[in-house]
Amino acid sequence: MSESSARILVPVGESSTFRNTVAYAVREARRVASETGEEATVHFVYPVRWQLVDEREQSVAEEVAETLDKARVWATDDLDYDDDGELASEDVPVSIETAVIGEDRYLFSPGDFATVLLDYAADRELDRIIVDPEYRPGGSAPMLQPLELELARSDLLVEEAPVERVVERSRLPSRANVSKAVTMFAGSFTFYLLLAGVFDTFNLVTGAVSAGIVTAVFSRITFVNTPDASRFVVRTVRFLLYVPYLLWEILKANLSVAYIILHPDLPIEPEMQRFRAAIWGDLSVTTLANSITLTPGTLTVDMERDSLVIHSLTQSSRDGLEEGALERAVRFVFYGRSAARLPSPAERGAISSLPTTDDTEEDA
Amino acid sequence: MTPLEYAVVGLVLVGLFFSFVAVVGIIRLPDLYTRAHATSKSDTLGTVLSLGGVALLFGAEVSGVKTVLLLLFMLITNPTAAHAIARAAHDQGIEPWTKSDEEGE
Repeated sequence: MSESSARILVPVGESSTFRNTVAYAVREARRVASETGEEATVHFVYPVRWQLVDEREQSVAEEVAETLDKARVWATDDLDYDDDGELASEDVPVSIETAVIGEDRYLFSPGDFATVLLDYAADRELDRIIVDPEYRPGGSAPMLQPLELELARSDLLVEEAPVERVVERSRLPSRANVSKAVTMFAGSFTFYLLLAGVFDTFNLVTGAVSAGIVTAVFSRITFVNTPDASRFVVRTVRFLLYVPYLLWEILKANLSVAYIILHPDLPIEPEMQRFRAAIWGDLSVTTLANSITLTPGTLTVDMERDSLVIHSLTQSSRDGLEEGALERAVRFVFYGRSAARLPSPAERGAISSLPTTDDTEEDA
Repeated sequence: MTPLEYAVVGLVLVGLFFSFVAVVGIIRLPDLYTRAHATSKSDTLGTVLSLGGVALLFGAEVSGVKTVLLLLFMLITNPTAAHAIARAAHDQGIEPWTKSDEEGE
């Protein structure tokens, strides 16, 4: 790597590979500095999401300070010792800086995160960014990949720290608690009795045992967040409003697909498109993806972080997608009426056609 | 025949029609992705309508409730399965059929 630099910016947050990323960044700074004689510096910055600062100001501020402290302590540790644990020569000093950034802005999209990071880098004349592969600036919302793309648009050197990643599955179970267990138990017990259909002692006992086992094994996996009764009710009511609309759309979809399939000329013009949905969270994206698959001439092929790859059968189905009625409906179900008023995908420019390799070959 | 029976027969017949459309679609459409459209949409509606007819016939008893549950799961799993297949194809780099493929032949 001839283009490496010893002036490094590392966005940090709690993650399983945080420790190793710090180690890597410091090691790189020292290695490059000893080769080129540059003045080595590593800045650890914590971009703060405005939602967090708003809601739980005190505890979040402490958490942020703690994270940055950890980075500083680890980095200083690493500077004193090399890989073998022996005291390394002190002739290449690496200065360590930590900072909280983005407090005065609303950080929401990957673009926002990239902007504050790049501004900071420009201010301090840092020209290399090392990203923790498990870095999750958006909390549970997947954001790392779009963030890296945004960062890569600048002329800075952007890379993921080549650290060993823990298998993703180990992170899945969330912490167990009573309300999760109760919800899970009630749900599976009801389902069991519904299938049994007879409420005698035998079914009640076997049902309770089965529901107990299911709860013990799965309650930590099924719910990531603690179930919230009022939110659940609100969403269920909104969902019940959504279902008739969805059914109507499904019926229309089927009539149009039936027409196309039975038409002697088979009038189709399939195309792949990428659609950046303004929807966040696992359940809502799943709902949208499934709804898209069920409705007029569109099929969700792939999901890459926040964007859906959609295969559409005809031009009219693409027009429907651009109007974004379905997306709006799903937003209504999960976030309420105000969220339904966001601009349509066409207005946001959220849809782009996905080039096939045929096209790229023609371009080349 | 009672009105209920008419409704049941109607639902099953419409369901059959859409299942038929799905089969024709699988045969006629040119590639995996477009075929997935046929299976995910027409087949889902066909099955759901037929099951709806069955549920009507059972009425408000345990078997009816079970049929409705079955219907709901079909509604959730069918598009998911179509998505899984299409995604696997996409991951493998299978190119979607386009209008120009036809003109080329």
